[in-house]
Amino acid sequence: MRYSQILIEHFRNPRNAGMMRDPDGVGESEYAECMDLARVFLRVRGGRIEEARFQTYGCGPTIAASSAATELIRGRALEDLLDLTETTVETAVGGLPADRAHAAQVVTAAIRAAARDAAARAGRPAPAPGE
Amino acid sequence: MNRRVYLDHNASTPVHPEVLEAMLPYFAERYGNPSSIHGFGRAAREGMDVARERVSSFLKVGKDEIVFTSGGTESDNMAIKGVAAARGRGHIVTSAVEHHAVLRTCTALESQGFTVTVLPVDGYGMVDPDDVRRAIRPDTILVTIMHANSEVGTIQPVGDIGRVTRERGIAFHVDGVQTFGKLPVDLDALNIDLFSFSSHKIYGPKGAAGLYIRKGTKMVSVQHGGEHERRRRAGTENVPGVVGLGKAVEVRARDMAEEEPRVRALRDRLWEGLQARVPEVRLNGHPTERLPGTCNVCFRHIESESIVLGLDLKGIGVSAGSACTAGNVEPSHVLVAMGVPLDWAMGTVRCSLGRTTTAEDIDYVLDSVEPLAGKLRSLSPLKG
Repeated sequence: MRYSQILIEHFRNPRNAGMMRDPDGVGESEYAECMDLARVFLRVRGGRIEEARFQTYGCGPTIAASSAATELIRGRALEDLLDLTETTVETAVGGLPADRAHAAQVVTAAIRAAARDAAARAGRPAPAPGE
Repeated sequence: MNRRVYLDHNASTPVHPEVLEAMLPYFAERYGNPSSIHGFGRAAREGMDVARERVSSFLKVGKDEIVFTSGGTESDNMAIKGVAAARGRGHIVTSAVEHHAVLRTCTALESQGFTVTVLPVDGYGMVDPDDVRRAIRPDTILVTIMHANSEVGTIQPVGDIGRVTRERGIAFHVDGVQTFGKLPVDLDALNIDLFSFSSHKIYGPKGAAGLYIRKGTKMVSVQHGGEHERRRRAGTENVPGVVGLGKAVEVRARDMAEEEPRVRALRDRLWEGLQARVPEVRLNGHPTERLPGTCNVCFRHIESESIVLGLDLKGIGVSAGSACTAGNVEPSHVLVAMGVPLDWAMGTVRCSLGRTTTAEDIDYVLDSVEPLAGKLRSLSPLKG
């Protein structure tokens, strides 16, 4: 098998899959060359990630990386996710073959975008009712 | 341990036990060089002769019209470059759904000054013989169209195309790698001048294949060296491989007619089951004019690789229709030529059945693919 056992396990049993109602931050990233698309939802409490969920279209590694990364970031400080590295995500799935490096790229970019969104929302007043 | 189900017979097949048995003596007992005149060489030569006899009688052609090669790719290269080199210049007609062994050979010739017309196909992947007729020019030297497509299984109207090329006196090459030993082929009746065939698609070994060259076809050798294969393909022959090819053909000639309806019924059971159990699937390729064992299916909004991986984890071997290499997904050139929309093409999986496939295998695949497709779709942000 060309993928790590960790990757296969996450692909078989993805954690945190599905959308989230009323998230505190949402981010998306598309890897145009292979059309992979990852969307990450964050719930933030006290500046830390209370819950992260994902929806991903892509190859097995991208799905597994979404699962592993959303598990990894739980409990972390929101500001730390703004510069989350691809290496961190890649390590979380037990490494990636060179031709699947995009799996970590697309998931990392989606998490960073979600973190930016959450940080921006936290810095501005809540929308008025009915808005 | 999972059940193991191999549904990738268009890629390669397991060597038939009778074929393996026929080959074995040619490794350590009859190991001579078939070009040698001593007894060791003659023993190897005999094996080659039997194989040539079996292939030529299967194709109903002369023994001296068969050249053994190392693979379908070499046969295609030999046919196309051999005709091109004999003529020096000219125009070649091919189609958009050919194997890369044909398309890239044509591209290489284009860079050497030949001109190439690549014909379109319809939504089923079929070439229109009238397009061939219209594409032919006074300087056309070769028409090369495959017999059946390896990805979607569509069988081309080679008989109609052959009538056109014969009428115009143009050499007609057919890449028959996917039909050889699966369907009856009468090269004379089809007016085929050059026919590529391979062993490992029909339960023979890899590394053995051949090219039929109709007597009188103007071509030159593209590989130079010794006097092998009547000076048409230099290099010591792969004797065990060729013996295996010959035996594989003999076994196919015996079993083909009985096996074909059984495999076809299983293929249809697979497609009917997929339609009934998995939403948003579509079949690629011609509904009837299609290889009996080929079922190429698109799963909308799921990426091919994730289905292939999910089925692999269940012990099932199928192939992805759109290959992701080095982070680039290239939808198959065949699906693109057929006009399959990208959001469908990205989720293409080819199942190709074979002689050992059973109804239980098909049911196991259906039982595996239904929850897998459901799960992958539930993960996907691309819904409806």
